[in-house]
Amino acid sequence: MFRQLLRTATPLAHRQAAIATKRTSIVPQSLMRYYSASGLTKDDVTTRIVDVIKAYDKSLAAKPISLESTYNKDLGLDSLDTVELIVAIEEEFEIEIPDKVADELKNVGETVDYIVSNPDAN
Amino acid sequence: MSAAPSRGQVLNLYKQFIKNANQFNNYNFKEYFLRRSRESFRANSKIQDPVELAKVYRDAQFDLAVLKRQSIISQLYTFDKLVVEPVAEK
Repeated sequence: MFRQLLRTATPLAHRQAAIATKRTSIVPQSLMRYYSASGLTKDDVTTRIVDVIKAYDKSLAAKPISLESTYNKDLGLDSLDTVELIVAIEEEFEIEIPDKVADELKNVGETVDYIVSNPDAN
Repeated sequence: MSAAPSRGQVLNLYKQFIKNANQFNNYNFKEYFLRRSRESFRANSKIQDPVELAKVYRDAQFDLAVLKRQSIISQLYTFDKLVVEPVAEK
């Protein structure tokens, strides 16, 4: 049994070595991509953010939420509510939004744009 | 005596409160600290006096340290889900 294992093991090792040399010869290092595209579409992000907003405050569920809806005026959220909403959005997309940027996000559209432009968002 | 905190500093502190409270494993503790943070920040949001504001801010920083410690301790234990908790928690 052991001999049989040995017999199958050696050609396999040979084959792997062959594949390895082949691969390095085919793909030059400089052309390799070390990142993956985030793959988030604007529509996708928008629906997810709207869902987060509706889950955050039940009274907003009935309101129409568009890209132009401002947190403060249209949705009636004060600065503390907005901070909480941003935290919920951060958790949804598994990112950290720096305070400086978060301060500038006044409406849904700006938030969507920021998430789409953030490569870490998923 | 520390100076009165800016608007940005207070919002940042609130953010940290919410984030740390969210990390509690135990539903009851989590909801309690979220509620407590919301209520205390809202109650103190009308304060104008810089001296009083500085004092409240310092107290809140102390509370945040407690909250951070306790949320870490909470994560060391597992708790049974309560019936009120959503099942498919991500």
